[in-house]
Amino acid sequence: MHFFDPMKLALEDFDINDITYSKLKGPDKFDKRIVIINIGRADREGLAYIIEKTASMGPKVIGLDAYFEGLKDPYKDSLLRSAFEKTKNLVTISRIEWDHHGEGRFIKDYYDSAHSLTGYGNITGEEGGTIRNFSPYEKIDDSIHYSFAAMLVKQYSTEAFKKLKKRHDHNEIINYTRRNNQYLSFTGEQLLNNDVDDSALKGKIVLLGYLGEDENDIEDKVFTPTNEKFAGKSRPDMNGIVVHANIISMILDHNYIKKLPSWVNIVVAILIGWLHMSFFIRYYLENHIWFHLVAKFAQLLSAIFFVYIGIFLFDKFNMKLDMTLTLVVIILAVDIIYFYEAFAVWMHKKFGYTTVFHQQHH
Amino acid sequence: MKKILFLIYLFFIAVAINAQDNSFLIYSVKGNVSVVENKIESKAKIGKIITGNTSLKLADGSVATLICNEAAMFTIKKAGSYTLSQFKDSCETHSSSVSANYVKYVWNQMTAGHEGSPGSNRKAFMSTVGAVSRSVNNIWIDPRLDTINYSNGDFPLSWKSYADAKDFEFSLYTSPDGGTPLYKNTLSKMKISIPSFASRLKPGNTYYWTSAVKGETNDEIKVLNYVEKPVYEMVLNKLKAEGPAYESDAEQAYRTAFGLEDARYLSEAYQYYLRAATLKPDMPLYRSTLMSFKKDYEIK
Repeated sequence: MHFFDPMKLALEDFDINDITYSKLKGPDKFDKRIVIINIGRADREGLAYIIEKTASMGPKVIGLDAYFEGLKDPYKDSLLRSAFEKTKNLVTISRIEWDHHGEGRFIKDYYDSAHSLTGYGNITGEEGGTIRNFSPYEKIDDSIHYSFAAMLVKQYSTEAFKKLKKRHDHNEIINYTRRNNQYLSFTGEQLLNNDVDDSALKGKIVLLGYLGEDENDIEDKVFTPTNEKFAGKSRPDMNGIVVHANIISMILDHNYIKKLPSWVNIVVAILIGWLHMSFFIRYYLENHIWFHLVAKFAQLLSAIFFVYIGIFLFDKFNMKLDMTLTLVVIILAVDIIYFYEAFAVWMHKKFGYTTVFHQQHH
Repeated sequence: MKKILFLIYLFFIAVAINAQDNSFLIYSVKGNVSVVENKIESKAKIGKIITGNTSLKLADGSVATLICNEAAMFTIKKAGSYTLSQFKDSCETHSSSVSANYVKYVWNQMTAGHEGSPGSNRKAFMSTVGAVSRSVNNIWIDPRLDTINYSNGDFPLSWKSYADAKDFEFSLYTSPDGGTPLYKNTLSKMKISIPSFASRLKPGNTYYWTSAVKGETNDEIKVLNYVEKPVYEMVLNKLKAEGPAYESDAEQAYRTAFGLEDARYLSEAYQYYLRAATLKPDMPLYRSTLMSFKKDYEIK
């Protein structure tokens, strides 16, 4: 089925609601609860200093979005280990690896023993695809493991965490409300040089992660629905740490997206398809001279209108109604009438099938 | 009567609420920026929250980005002292509804110019050149002239040529992207004195210049900041005040010149190097520094 790959690439990663994020909706207000510190290319020694300095400024919780594998340099390793041990409110990154039987393996990093708070950094999306979902927690070997964002929220707001848990949703849709500059961010260097105000981190969620050296740096960047180019080839638009920040903002604001079950999407598609068919068939049978023009115009208008309905529900009620199937029905409606007419006439000739089309074949 | 008093009271409350200060968050700082709060000046630090009564001081070449009321972001690039209440307008946010944006989006999609596709209209799509640029530039401009601050005095902008050219074109722009030059002159010498075009400049603005062999182009753009007098005087006074208690005039002039050169005030630095050498002509250091400075910057 690789023949269909180009179609898959073009359409599978496309979601109508992406237009809302990328073209229609501006970002929300600045989130003062979260601060992002760009760790740049700091080594383990540099990170140790950044963690210690951050901790000294009184944040409620610190999240380090960097993963460490194995030994590197005994001196630098011990500095980082010491920083981990001293910073009790530090949440580090772990990973979950799933095998093809669906069995998960929870993997901590090299500093496993030095810290107790960890959350997996996995976010859900195809490789190179748009990141739309995340799983707040996973059960592996009878233990519950929380995601990086959920673990940070657990330390920051018990109430918000309880609400998240109550939802029992393993595949939450990320409601992207902010881009990089809707969070206060600065470099680790600026922090160590005392260029940051003493009150800037007090009582906040501080995320230490990679924000890149410039806008062309795409390391640790992913595609999100906020990408200006929502279909076709483009560049990744958001750093992983900002994705985590958006998830945290969403959980803290209880600003979840409500997913409508697939049967609702199907019922809506059937209803709208039925409405279109009845309208088109009537015109077709009347042999209206304007049929083709009216049909194409109606298709265009209804496509625009029903996409708007989907966007309106998404924007006003955080309700995700997938209009893709409905759009396909609208687009194919006229061709299906042609096909059905030919089929019905053939059935009439062959088997005497009674049809409204038998008198005049268009 | 009670009702009238109550209404007046309500009116004053409404006015007071309306007059409340906007809150500003210092989002990023570049260069030398300070905050003046209750007549106390301190270094502007990222993450600090300040109110409309606070003043912000920006030295030359400094930039500060602020966020007003957690919503509107704006940047101050021009050197000077600002009371934040004057940026009240920048606190206003204008966001249209998703529905209105959708109508605009659909309209734009339907009315946008259709240039066809690369297969049908190659001329509209031949903008990508599949190669790196390695153009020959016959002009070399000293990197020390990359950015200079200028307030007064006679100082030349100079360059060297690898080509055996007779005429050179000097161009001055108001934008780093070029465009129509604000001033253009064809010269036989490989330098131009700033006062020769200073009448076209407005203090407090940044200009961009380049020079090229006549008929050729040069993409290398240099920056000329035409600094307002009070800003320059602030830098100068600060430099002068930094000296030791017992310092001769010549020593002070030499130290000031050094500081000004470091701050990219080259024309002004030249005046002070000259002054130091004049005040103490028997000091070899002052003389040799002046000679080197003149040689480096083509001052005759």
